[in-house]
Amino acid sequence: MRAFISSVYLFLYAPIALVVLFSFNAGRSASEFTGFSTAWYGKALSNTFLVSALQNSLMIAFTSATLAAIFGTMAALGMERLAPRNRAIFDALFAAAIVVPGVVIGIATLVALVAVFSFVNPALTAIWPGDQPPQLGLGYGSIIAAHGLFSMALVTMIVKARIASLGRDIVEASSDLYATPLTTFRLIVLPQILPSILAGFLLAFTFSFDDFIIAFFVAGSKTTLPIYVFASIRRGVTPEINAIATLVLVASLLLILTARILMREKKTKSGE
Amino acid sequence: MPAATNTKRNLVTAALVAPAAAWLMIFLVLPFIAMLVFAFGERAPEGGYQAAFTFAQFARLPTRAAAFWNTLVLAPVGALLCLLVAYPVAYYLAVKADPRYRLILVSLVVVPFWTSLLVRTYAWMYILGSRGIPNLLSMVGFEDVRLLNTPGAVLLGIVYGYLPLMIMPIYVSLEKLDRRLLEASADLGARPVSTFFGVTLPLSLPGVMTGVALVTILLLGEYLIPQLLGGGKVFFIGNALVDLFLQSRNWPFGSAIAVTLVAVVVVILMVAMRIAFKVAGTRQVDLV
Amino acid sequence: MTKWYRENAPITAEQLADELMRLKRGSVTRRHFLGVTGLGLATAVLARQPGLFNSTAFAGDLGTQMSIATWPNYHDPATFEAFQAATGVAVEVNVFGSNEEMLAKLQAGGTGWDLFVPTNYTISTYVKLGLIDELDLSKLPNYDASTETARFTNEGVVDGKTYAVPKNWGTTGIALNSNKIKTPVTSWKDFFEVAMTEADGRAMVHDYQLTTIGNALVSLGYSFNSTKPDELAKAEELLIKVKPHLYAINSDYQPSMRATDAWMTMCWTNDGAQLNRDMPEIQFVLGKDGGEIWSDFYAIPKSAANKAAGYALLNYLMAPENAVKEHIANGAPTTDSRVLKLLPADVTGNKIVYPDDASLTPLEFGAAVTLTDPGRAELMARFKSA
Repeated sequence: MRAFISSVYLFLYAPIALVVLFSFNAGRSASEFTGFSTAWYGKALSNTFLVSALQNSLMIAFTSATLAAIFGTMAALGMERLAPRNRAIFDALFAAAIVVPGVVIGIATLVALVAVFSFVNPALTAIWPGDQPPQLGLGYGSIIAAHGLFSMALVTMIVKARIASLGRDIVEASSDLYATPLTTFRLIVLPQILPSILAGFLLAFTFSFDDFIIAFFVAGSKTTLPIYVFASIRRGVTPEINAIATLVLVASLLLILTARILMREKKTKSGE
Repeated sequence: MPAATNTKRNLVTAALVAPAAAWLMIFLVLPFIAMLVFAFGERAPEGGYQAAFTFAQFARLPTRAAAFWNTLVLAPVGALLCLLVAYPVAYYLAVKADPRYRLILVSLVVVPFWTSLLVRTYAWMYILGSRGIPNLLSMVGFEDVRLLNTPGAVLLGIVYGYLPLMIMPIYVSLEKLDRRLLEASADLGARPVSTFFGVTLPLSLPGVMTGVALVTILLLGEYLIPQLLGGGKVFFIGNALVDLFLQSRNWPFGSAIAVTLVAVVVVILMVAMRIAFKVAGTRQVDLV
Repeated sequence: MTKWYRENAPITAEQLADELMRLKRGSVTRRHFLGVTGLGLATAVLARQPGLFNSTAFAGDLGTQMSIATWPNYHDPATFEAFQAATGVAVEVNVFGSNEEMLAKLQAGGTGWDLFVPTNYTISTYVKLGLIDELDLSKLPNYDASTETARFTNEGVVDGKTYAVPKNWGTTGIALNSNKIKTPVTSWKDFFEVAMTEADGRAMVHDYQLTTIGNALVSLGYSFNSTKPDELAKAEELLIKVKPHLYAINSDYQPSMRATDAWMTMCWTNDGAQLNRDMPEIQFVLGKDGGEIWSDFYAIPKSAANKAAGYALLNYLMAPENAVKEHIANGAPTTDSRVLKLLPADVTGNKIVYPDDASLTPLEFGAAVTLTDPGRAELMARFKSA
């Protein structure tokens, strides 16, 4: 049993170790180790395309996850109050947003947006008074929208499950004590669902940050980190990619660690 | 309740769900309708879409039978392989592992998710390519072994990529398991094996079902792993779709395949729910 | 101001100051001032780009980055580094494995490319679809039509207008690792036979309808450009029979050939020359039964965001002293007699790069119809998903 478990961990980490190892390669290739060097970290951070792809990915992941967390939580709260039939419609749509494969979401969004643009852009040109009418196109907006769809469904599911497990009695007790609905929400409900909102936000962020296939279809001329990496695999990977992947890994490990420490402190303080 | 309060309550509810409703309409329902419309259209002479009403695209679906078949075989096989590897790990983490290290070991399962799947898969291209394992094999006398660009390589990539997604739900369901049940079973003289099959396994089935359904459904739309580890030879339906949009520029046929894929996913999901309902006796399988 | 700009600017700083004073004094019109300083052109270019209108408007403003879509292993990375050093413009290189893929991206909208490399047979379609602009040759002083070989450059001109200028020409042949494959391969017929026997599991074909279908057709004795349904059906039969024996379907075969994962592949001249230079056991042969001869071009997409930089890079690449470095690095034969004169004898004497005329005779240029023919597009897609 032990041997099996260890080999599974080895299996999980061997490729990651390889990625980290080659980030310190002296040579140009990501497949032949010729000596130790940290030069690729400097090169990666001064490569404008790589850095802007990373920035785009962070911006898109943050925006889509934030919107998803806000709208998803609102929807989860609102659905509680809907008539059962309307609630079922929402449930079905959210489930669809989660189970429809990413490649289909990408294609459907592309097809729909291209169709919409083909109506809207000529119309804009026709009514615009100046000679530079604004033109709609694929870009940050379409990636955020397509990522946000899945993310919002994710947040709604998680928060809804949490609300369902909350006792109704505590809310009722609160209103019996003449608290306004808003106060009840702020003081009673929100603190209880906050961890699940955060969990949803983190999942959404991770999903968006690592998504390739949806962005591949709807990114237009914009480049996200996965798109950049995919293009690099075609033009020949240099250890720059390994360097940036290692940096992202270290940054996220630090984040997890900080979160853990913060949570532990909070627990000790509250005497748990 | 007075009418005014009622109206106010309805307004608040509407305001709460409005953004989500709009998002779902514009970026899920509308695109799906567009795709459906495109699926009945024709390929324009230079590629792309041209308005028409024809069932021709659906009639051509059999030309992609191989890709559908690959997907429908390799996705569940991949999910089951994933399960075979994941279950012992989840069991160990939930039941056997030293509680002091449990949290760290569980976190270590999730951490790979924080490195780009693309980069990790690229690392596998190196490991399976001739400078990797085949090179080691040739040192002990096995010349010219080929691992990359085979169905085996794709399956390996699948197990690797989706293992954490399979371990987590099983771990969660095993962790909830009341340890006193196991002790009771042992006290009653059951051997460990029969305890496992009689108590542990049935109780962890919801987690198993969730994991298998989740991984299978994600695999049905997989593109990257077959692309990178299959060398364009092991084709999933996702690859056929990308090909139709980004090479042969046949948007209507691509739309028809996408619509069909969604239908397949829905059918599989419904069957899975039915089985889960029967096997686990639970009302629903949490997909998230 | 960069060194490059100083040397190439049409007007020096002193002259500019001088003209500016004259304009202020009113001794010249604004139009004269803009014309003399070249600012008129810059203003005109910038005016067409929303959001850039208020940025510093001088003729050398090329932005800080641009993007080029090209083919695998097709440029010397040093070229783009030198271009960046000279102009401050960083070049992002996007690599594609077929013309169809480039066309698909352009049709879907928003590629972000400021320059790209289409092959001879595609240009008339790009023009027809309005995806590329006629080139403003006044921005390409380094290009000289009179030193180009007409045979390789005529397809860049449509209806008397120049839409694309040549990068280089080449052929599509067979690269094979002679350490691994002992059977002689001299034709596409041999290629497909060996792929199923001695090179079982080790042969590659392009992810590209023109060459993969074309060479299958040639091996069966048909034209490389055939779109006849019965001939295509035969080619499909052959391709599907070969598919289980292939190592991969991929237009970037250099990494696999170098790692000896693959032993034989469909191969373009430039890749053949690069592979043979670094690994002499890899040979490059032309099919004696036929195959493709081609020329690649540079063109600027209508949707380019930074056309100024696109022109600047193109003009830079057209300078013989820069082009010669590219040709030495990538191993493709030149269309420009000025470059040919500068090339060292070991390059011009390389039979892979400059084969005998006799071996070129059976080769065909790709035909425009193959790019858009639905039969060929669907055949390729079926072959891949089979």
